[in-house]
Amino acid sequence: MVAGGLALTAIAVFGVLLHSPAMVIATNGMPTTSVLTAAKENVGACQTGETLPAGTTAIRLSLEATTGPLVDVEVLEGSRIVTRGTEGTGWFGSAVTVPVPPLRRTLEHAKLCFQMRLLTGYVALSGGPSNRASAATSDGKALPGRIRVSYLRSSGRSWWSLTGAVIQNMALGRAASGTWIVFPIAALAAAAIALGSWVLIRELR
Amino acid sequence: MSDRVLASVTPDQAHGSSHPAPAPTRRRLPARIAAHLRRVPTAAWACALVACLNAACWSLITPPFQAPDEPSHFAYVQDLVETGRLPSGGVESFSPQEQIVLRDLQQGEVRYSPQNHTISTATEQAQLQRDLSLPLSGASTNAGVAASEPPLYYALETIPYYAASSGTLLDRLALMRLFSALTAGLTTLFVFLFLREALPRRPWAWTVGGLGVAFAPLLGMMAGAINSDALLYAVSAALFFCLARGFRRGLTPKLAVLTGAVIAAGLLTKLNFFGLLPGAFLGLLVLTWRARRVSRRAAYRSLALACTIAAIPPGLYVAINLLTGRHTYGTISPPVASTTAKGSIFKEISYIWQFYLPRLPGMHDYFPGLLTTRQFWANGFVGLYGWVDTVFPAWVYKAALVPIVLLAVLFVSGVLRNRVSLRRRLSELSIYSVMLVGLAGLVGASDYLEFPGATGSYAQPRYLLPTAALYGAVLALAARGAGRRWGPVVGASIVMLFIAHDVFSQLLEISRFYG
Repeated sequence: MVAGGLALTAIAVFGVLLHSPAMVIATNGMPTTSVLTAAKENVGACQTGETLPAGTTAIRLSLEATTGPLVDVEVLEGSRIVTRGTEGTGWFGSAVTVPVPPLRRTLEHAKLCFQMRLLTGYVALSGGPSNRASAATSDGKALPGRIRVSYLRSSGRSWWSLTGAVIQNMALGRAASGTWIVFPIAALAAAAIALGSWVLIRELR
Repeated sequence: MSDRVLASVTPDQAHGSSHPAPAPTRRRLPARIAAHLRRVPTAAWACALVACLNAACWSLITPPFQAPDEPSHFAYVQDLVETGRLPSGGVESFSPQEQIVLRDLQQGEVRYSPQNHTISTATEQAQLQRDLSLPLSGASTNAGVAASEPPLYYALETIPYYAASSGTLLDRLALMRLFSALTAGLTTLFVFLFLREALPRRPWAWTVGGLGVAFAPLLGMMAGAINSDALLYAVSAALFFCLARGFRRGLTPKLAVLTGAVIAAGLLTKLNFFGLLPGAFLGLLVLTWRARRVSRRAAYRSLALACTIAAIPPGLYVAINLLTGRHTYGTISPPVASTTAKGSIFKEISYIWQFYLPRLPGMHDYFPGLLTTRQFWANGFVGLYGWVDTVFPAWVYKAALVPIVLLAVLFVSGVLRNRVSLRRRLSELSIYSVMLVGLAGLVGASDYLEFPGATGSYAQPRYLLPTAALYGAVLALAARGAGRRWGPVVGASIVMLFIAHDVFSQLLEISRFYG
């Protein structure tokens, strides 16, 4: 039973590591240096001149919230909606990532609009300053800049193939730097699981 | 006699058969403590060790200062050591030594931003190494959000801080985290002992509950970081154990002393402990009421002993605060006043209700479009790490509903199977419920203070982990819910599920910060 459980977990880990993580393939180049506006009621905004790479599967907007609202995103070419997506309520942090159906081709000079609903607190729209002509608009009024937007798609490389890079990153920014850090982590995890399994078998016999 | 056999009889019997009762009054305190420790089953120690190892693992996985409020908690300890005084400012402007490390680690850019990862170039690392060796001051008077907290945890953390004084700030942080990991072991040990007292009939179920807590990724993450929550979990679990022991064996003077000491430790650890206090005192009153049937005088003396011991250390802390011009008891008094200043008490109760449970007809909707029970609490227990910014993909939370519902069904079955014995212990269960409601109410009231600007700031399951003992009891009862034949199999499955949960949570944390 215990061995079976551990084997299932190992298989699941192996399977998950075969998947590719999403990666940022392009941004609109705006920094997140300014809070363009802070919304506390249902509100939307649009900005033109966005370039969406082919294969985009998610759009990340720099919206900051403690308990994020529902966010609907639409991308328009002229007046035609090319793609759309929705992220539900309850997200947290400095950005919300909205999944969209994969884009078949690159879109240039597209208009990106989003609408926030069911707000439970303030939501800050972050970006950088721009000229009035290219600034984002909300309720027909120009904001003092453009919202930062990132476009994501699958990296095409599995987590397995990224293991080396991940370990390199783990080696930095800690008390004793070095890739050896993965060994104590693995040893501690293995010891905890082995001891836990042993006591489980012993007590449940 | 093996521990397993020992565990299959009641703790009272186990005492008698394994260790003939010596004349306790004649023995010295260390010998008596050692004798008590020898009576703790091997399984309990093993569960505690598993929790320590797991928290130590988390302490290495989580990047420095990327656990909730860790910069503030570290600053508190540093202030205490470097200035010899409690921090007085709640500003997030720490010592030059800490500030430069936070900058080099790009802590502010990574925090709350799962799209940003930790430093990844040799240049950034070289800059960090250079700055770590600078002879900068570690003194400050600010400790951010931790400034208002009582000092016990931080005073204990000065031990590893001193021990690593020959190293850099990050060496100190690493050792302090490992020290904190010990509290995960203590929490698990007390949860196991609580289960042994509260659910004595199926010893194997204690192990299920103990290991369930030991492998809880949230406990691992919090105890693997510098945060007074870690000690709060241990002290709270100890309080549950003391009360369970009292309900099972009666309130003795020894237990009264222990309970008083645990309450004092809790009050000196974190303000959130106040949430457990009404239930704890109610529990002591019920135990006194029961004990007075035997000896009225002894009962009242035990109660007085517990209350006095519980009150003296916090009283001293209040006196020091008043003499040094600080808040009477951290920031606990102003918020209590401000929550009621926000509106009627009914509005506050309505808010707190909806913070946890579905809105009832007639209530104002404070959380439009949110299923708080599921989105805040169920999803939070499934996975909410880092600075509450590290989450699984959405499908994981949907899939997790299957085991959650199965556990709930098994738990209800466990309650029904044991309803006769549970009904007899209604007063004890009521006390635990009051403790849970008290803590949940305190957390909910804290969130109400943030309404409407930052609604949901306190919607973090880590605030409910002081009730880890009840969490362990739910798992143990769920395993027992499968019946005598299948119970151990289901218990093993529950533990396997929690091991898998822990492993995937650690992988999530790695992918978020280093991916």
